[in-house]
Amino acid sequence: MRFFTIGKAWAFLGVALLATPFCWSQANPARVAVCGACHGANGNSQLKDVPSLAGQPKVFLENQLVLIREGMRDIPQMKGLLDNVPDAELTALAQHYAGLAVAKPPAQRKADVFTRGETLAKDMRCGICHLPNYAGREQMPRLAGQREDYLLYTMRAMKSNQSVGRDPIMSASLHGISDDELQALAHYLARVVP
Amino acid sequence: MKSKLHLFKQLGLMMAMSIGAAAVQAQAPAAPAPAWKQGMPESMANSTLAPLAAKLTATKAADVPLNRIKLPPGFKVEVWADSVPGSRAIARGDGGKYYVGTRPLGRVYEITDNGSTRTSRVVIDKLDQPTVAFKDGALYVVSVDKVLRFDGIDKNPSVAPVDLTANFNLPPEKHHNWKYVAFGPDGKLYMPFGAPCNICEPPSAEYAQIRRYNPDGSGMEVLARGIRNTVGFDWHPVTKELWFSNHGRDWLGDDTPNDTMHRLKVGGHYGFPSCHQGNLPDPDVKRAKPCDGIEQPVALMGPHAATMGVTFYTGNMFPPEYRNVLFNARKGSWNRTKKIGHDVVIVRADADGKNAKVEPFMTGFSNEADQSFWGRPAYLHQMADGSLLVSDEQMGVIYRVSYSK
Repeated sequence: MRFFTIGKAWAFLGVALLATPFCWSQANPARVAVCGACHGANGNSQLKDVPSLAGQPKVFLENQLVLIREGMRDIPQMKGLLDNVPDAELTALAQHYAGLAVAKPPAQRKADVFTRGETLAKDMRCGICHLPNYAGREQMPRLAGQREDYLLYTMRAMKSNQSVGRDPIMSASLHGISDDELQALAHYLARVVP
Repeated sequence: MKSKLHLFKQLGLMMAMSIGAAAVQAQAPAAPAPAWKQGMPESMANSTLAPLAAKLTATKAADVPLNRIKLPPGFKVEVWADSVPGSRAIARGDGGKYYVGTRPLGRVYEITDNGSTRTSRVVIDKLDQPTVAFKDGALYVVSVDKVLRFDGIDKNPSVAPVDLTANFNLPPEKHHNWKYVAFGPDGKLYMPFGAPCNICEPPSAEYAQIRRYNPDGSGMEVLARGIRNTVGFDWHPVTKELWFSNHGRDWLGDDTPNDTMHRLKVGGHYGFPSCHQGNLPDPDVKRAKPCDGIEQPVALMGPHAATMGVTFYTGNMFPPEYRNVLFNARKGSWNRTKKIGHDVVIVRADADGKNAKVEPFMTGFSNEADQSFWGRPAYLHQMADGSLLVSDEQMGVIYRVSYSK
């Protein structure tokens, strides 16, 4: 399903980029449409394991876009999508998504898992970097309201050192954390409203 | 996959409901605390001090607030090269090209000086925090997990590197194992291996030390131990001794411990993990009389200041009082409620390291009043004409500092 969507996005990119003048002080609408195919038209992802970008700190988005373009952070689904995209356009994209509103968290909540995640996040001091309300800042992503499946997916990758090109500090921070603890963290963080 | 996920969830729920977090942790294998959290006291549990964000996008010279930089009278600064994001250590090739390493971007730049302008290209990318050194026509690129040699790169820009990694026996841990490397007056390649943590008993004897190798990686010798993280050194112009900067640990308060400047004594121990700055016992990794026999620093470089590149000035351009003076770039603190560093300082000391005095040289990259900063000086390089190159890792530019009466 996701690959089908990306294929469609690619075709759209080809047409739209040709028709778009090169001025990146605003995010290029064609590029935003491509991103939106997976990350959601308003930056809130509707696809499993695909992160929402809305409301993420600008520096975090900018740095990740650069690292993905450089091939330092390897995301197979994004391979080639950012090749040769100039810095200024990445900055404009980051600015665009940083300014979008985060969707309401899922209503369904498992009270015991939520409470456990809340306690874990506090004990693990996630808030030192991601801020006590988990809204993120600078190079540190917002956790509050991120998709639960993506939080779990990415924390699992970090924990098992599969998160190539990401800050190794997160692998260290999740060292020794059990999978059900990761699930509780993801469940809680996806539902925090700063 | 779906059923596996389901199982995970079931398991998680069951465990959470039946036994609670403490019991689950007791069943898990004992895990070391993550590097950044080691040694953080309970009193700082609600601190929001965290490493500062890197800027990975290109900055044009015109966008650098050059007029905010302050230097002693007679000195002048210009942007010598721009659009080299994340630029750190600088090495000069025999043919006059310059090579520059980076950290998160994973690139090595080559900068060609065309007189009034400079152009740059990426020599190699996708490396894990590479640094550079140059010797006998060859560029050496050293990352966390690789040593590559580009023979004759000045004449043959597309030369394929020789992979020397296997000869160097690099230890596996990543943290603090990004490096600064340089060739000494003895022709050997000097390479540090940082402690893979904030504060810990290192997992093996391969860390917290400075080694030297023959250029091909043979003949390895461990020169000194107990060095937490040095990422800058140079050789004293008179004594030919190696002087190195060293980062102190985090989470020990705003004012302790200091980063330090040292002279290398072969076989010496510099205190990590049990003694900092030569006289401060560590509260977490305790030993009896931890500071006995520990080498003493030449100078204290400021708590958490991130003391980086070290260059002894030997040129004729600067006034005579700068001759043989140590220049040191301080990238600036994060683990401190009031920022310090973000500058270049000089250390005036006797050749034997006595009577050291630290003085500001190049400032204006930060604003004490609102705790903001815009630049982070990282490394230094003395040019043939006696001017001084200063890399700014934040702006991704290289400044040239010159002097005229």
